[in-house]
Amino acid sequence: MSAVFLGVRHHSPACARLVERTIARLRPVQVLVEGPAEMNGRLDELLLGHELPVAVFSHYRDEQRAATSWAPLCDYSPEWVALRAGRAAGAEVRFIDLPAWHPAFAERTNRYADAEARYEEATERLCRHFAVDSSDTLWDRLFEVEPDDGLAERLDAYFALVRGDAEADAGDRARESYMAAWVRAAVDTAGDRPVLVVTGGFHQPALRALTGPGEPGGPEGDDPDGWERGADGWPRVPAPPGAATAGSFLVPYSFRQLDAFAGYQSGMPSPGYYQRVWEAGPEAAADRLLRVVVERLRARKFPVSTADLIAARSLAQGLTALRGHPRPARIDVLDGLAGALITDDLDHPLPWTGRGTLTAGAHPVVVEMVAACGGDRTGRLHPGTPAPPLVHDVAAQLAGLALDGGPEATYRLDLTDTADLERSRVLHRLRVLGIPGQVRTAGPAHGVDPEFTERWESRSVVGREAALVEAGAYGATLAEAAAVALTGRTRDVAREADRLAGALFDAVLCGMDGFSDQLLGELGSCVRESSLPGPLGEVLATALGLWRHDRVFGMARGPLLGTVIDGATERLLWLLEGARGSSGVDFSRLRAVVAVRDAVLHAPELLSVTRETAAGIARRIADDSEAPVELRGAAFGLHRSLGQASGAAGDPAEAVRTVARAGTDALGDWLAGLFALARDEVTGAVGDDGDGAGGGAESLIDVLDGLVCALPDDAFLSGLPALRQAFTFFPPRERDRIAGRLLERRGVRGSSRSLLRTTADPLLIGRARALEESVSRLLARYELEATP
Amino acid sequence: MTTRNEPRAGAPAGDAAPVQRPPAEVRYAEELAALRADDRDPRPPGWELSLRAARRFVIGDAETGISRKFVGNPSLVDRALVTLATSRGLMLVGEPGTAKSLLSELIAAAVSGDSTLTVQGGAATTEDQIKYGWNYALLVAEGPSARSLVPAPMLRGMAEGRLVRFEEITRCPLEVQDSLLSLLSERVVAIPELTGPDGMVFARQGFNVIATANTRDRGVNEMSAALKRRFNFETVFPIPDLDTELALVEAEVTTLLRRSGVEPPPDRDVLEVLVGTFRELRAGAGGKGGSGAGPDRPSAVMSTAEAVSVAHAVGVRGWFLRGEPGSAADVVACLAGTAAKDSPEDLARLRRYLEQQVPRRRGPHWKALHDARHLLAD
Repeated sequence: MSAVFLGVRHHSPACARLVERTIARLRPVQVLVEGPAEMNGRLDELLLGHELPVAVFSHYRDEQRAATSWAPLCDYSPEWVALRAGRAAGAEVRFIDLPAWHPAFAERTNRYADAEARYEEATERLCRHFAVDSSDTLWDRLFEVEPDDGLAERLDAYFALVRGDAEADAGDRARESYMAAWVRAAVDTAGDRPVLVVTGGFHQPALRALTGPGEPGGPEGDDPDGWERGADGWPRVPAPPGAATAGSFLVPYSFRQLDAFAGYQSGMPSPGYYQRVWEAGPEAAADRLLRVVVERLRARKFPVSTADLIAARSLAQGLTALRGHPRPARIDVLDGLAGALITDDLDHPLPWTGRGTLTAGAHPVVVEMVAACGGDRTGRLHPGTPAPPLVHDVAAQLAGLALDGGPEATYRLDLTDTADLERSRVLHRLRVLGIPGQVRTAGPAHGVDPEFTERWESRSVVGREAALVEAGAYGATLAEAAAVALTGRTRDVAREADRLAGALFDAVLCGMDGFSDQLLGELGSCVRESSLPGPLGEVLATALGLWRHDRVFGMARGPLLGTVIDGATERLLWLLEGARGSSGVDFSRLRAVVAVRDAVLHAPELLSVTRETAAGIARRIADDSEAPVELRGAAFGLHRSLGQASGAAGDPAEAVRTVARAGTDALGDWLAGLFALARDEVTGAVGDDGDGAGGGAESLIDVLDGLVCALPDDAFLSGLPALRQAFTFFPPRERDRIAGRLLERRGVRGSSRSLLRTTADPLLIGRARALEESVSRLLARYELEATP
Repeated sequence: MTTRNEPRAGAPAGDAAPVQRPPAEVRYAEELAALRADDRDPRPPGWELSLRAARRFVIGDAETGISRKFVGNPSLVDRALVTLATSRGLMLVGEPGTAKSLLSELIAAAVSGDSTLTVQGGAATTEDQIKYGWNYALLVAEGPSARSLVPAPMLRGMAEGRLVRFEEITRCPLEVQDSLLSLLSERVVAIPELTGPDGMVFARQGFNVIATANTRDRGVNEMSAALKRRFNFETVFPIPDLDTELALVEAEVTTLLRRSGVEPPPDRDVLEVLVGTFRELRAGAGGKGGSGAGPDRPSAVMSTAEAVSVAHAVGVRGWFLRGEPGSAADVVACLAGTAAKDSPEDLARLRRYLEQQVPRRRGPHWKALHDARHLLAD
């Protein structure tokens, strides 16, 4: 008897029910399930009685690549039901897919994602035909809300259609030929008793074709595709290449993680909703969703009146009827709630109309709706489950580094010492994974902190073991797991540049350089989305400093910081050109310009922006009359420091005159910007060597002196604070030289130092002068001046 | 029906010039008639079509030859239609140029067979233009009577059981907006000047209101909570998908160019660059998926309609100046004049986009666009 093939969508309650019914009807002796074949020896472990969701976590590392992936299982996964019900019906159950480390799975982090990228065209056509927004809606409409009779036939037709014109890639073909080898072996073993094969619907038409009667590969013979059979008659599980480490094990999983796969890695959305569909049916799930959303909103003090509730329910019912759904679908309830409760214009389309995830700044009603659909269930492993390798790895590392001193132990670590640095990294990795037990009580707080010692204290805490098992879902080794956790955290802090600096420094402390491409990518895109120049400038300055000079953390010249530097420079240039006026000097923005200059000058090999492009942008900002004044000054300085080689820089004396026409405040702010970037414009011209950097051009200090002397008194007094602020960028020695130059100009002999040392605060003197002025004006107005 | 459709066919009977833009129920009279003839589904009271037929009319149905008229999400149309069948009004909000008015016209044509009961909101809109006014000659001669009453669209919609469109509702003064309150909740208008049965006009089945509001002039935030509560809000978004938008722009521009006497059809690559530029500027270029109203977003409207008008200008420019289809350089020149209107900030944004973002795109036309950046007038 040939095999019975069930093509399913992963995480579909309708498909899960179909599997359950088929097993009950068919009573198969063999149930073959799409899943990692290397787990076959440990299926008992999988069926111990865990609280779902759990996942088979697989990791792989060799010299070329490192990969981690998950095969998540929840109560309503067809694969899970096949395992459970198949075993209960007395069948032999087996996973038949390639191990997760196999190159066929490169780029995949979720084994049970939809194969959607490959059949997009077909689903798009179907969506247009049925006039629905997305393939998820289409799926609900065709399968989840329809009655169960005829489901298998409809699934067959659907998958035949989508597979019909989709191009399977090499990875799919390898997996399908391997799975087909298992099916043939099972048919051989079963003789004339039934065999049930449960796989993703995309593979099912191919498997059927590969194992059909016309295909080669006689009974008991070797497989046509070269998959050897072992002594037990089943295909061998390929072993990873010699030098590589690979493994699979069980970890607890959560609906939140299941819902968090983005883009093409995602499977069915809204696990919380479909859990309810599986347990109680679509009507109950719809009812409950409505109730939960309203409860959540009311708990957040968002007004939801009874009239709103009635409107939401009637809208949902109307939509169910209009769309021809025999029972309410997820999208009917969501649309009903959205229509009735949202009384604003939205910034983003409703997330369920496409494949989009929730965007920052989404409407609170939408946020609660998505959260209610996602659910908050967290799986728990049976206590008898072997601990994931992370637990052993951590224990071994702590022992190896003499960090297992028990509770109350204190460690003082000198980061310049290699062994201590390694200890520090291990402890930081535990920290970012959220494993309680060790607390850092002292140590460097940021990338330019001159502190090089750390103090850690051990404390005995409950829940440490559980936290480690949970963290086991992130990776097999401590470093891997920390990289995954940091990647996730970076994604969460996206667009908050100040917290980005923290995430970056954590990556430095954990020694993550060159460790994880995902972390690199996430940091890079996070930097590119940041919108505040000030904090981003800090990130750039710190990263650049560590990249150039770090001797402690071992991060110098590393790719991690390189990515950040390139992204931040590019983004800052973009942000700076778009900055618009605010009065007063924004020092953090000036520091950002300085950071950009340093990056362009000292790390050009990292940047995708050329020096010429950066200089061009600087010139445009300097010439832009709408840009903040101090930024224009800074851009002028930036342009000069970048353009020196080409000699195309503008004349500062001329620029100063232009700015001065706009007012003394503006002059002070502009100078502050210029001096932040290019102090030698002034000091160079008054240097000891006489010829001056200005060459034949008029010295900037002379021009300034002339301008300031020509100011009317009140303009001088009102502009004084800004002017003084600008000169604070000079260290005392340079200020001294400027003072000397001023004396020289006036032909006065005297100590320039005494000119800088006044008996009182010059601003106070300025205020006194202003007061005197106003008194004498008042006297003059009332003709009360003392006559001589 | 065919007689009403004649002017559009370009064969005017007698000396009447063809109507520039007949209302939707005239333009699509045949489709509506066909849908009505086949309509087997239940109709809400007072509706000319069932919900499903109305939906097919708006989003199209290739099998029965119904054209696709609105390219947004089908679920939006579902929600809009179901809302209108309940007791709440429908409020379409969104950026200018996102086809809100078109959608409201199509729905009114499908549901009531008439999209002309329209109030155009504005600063000078008064209650007379919404509910009723008087023929003052008759009023003076005969006193208030049903004869001297001049019903405005709301009153007519209520009396006849039709959908009434209220365009740009947020541009009306708040007091005028609030005059809709009792009308929407009690579904009755009292005319105190008249006595007897004429003094109360009750809404018949089929009456409801579709309002539109754009988020640029004066958003919906100022609208009173009481009025908001009587509407279900639907935000209409720009076309989400590049190919759809490109196809729409190409179709529209080809028609426009032919009408302007331009022979060559628009160059598809140039259109792609143009539409791509519009989409990136609209999204706030430089940060993917940034917040809705970031500082990088131009204040000018970067709608599909605007893209069509720029593409039209590009084609006209290329043909009449040089006798060839418009090029990427024409796009820059036209963007400066049309899209960036007269706002120096927008011009700066556009320049910054051309300088910093465009060079990262690959392709000869993007390069040409970058090379032509000096054409942005100062």
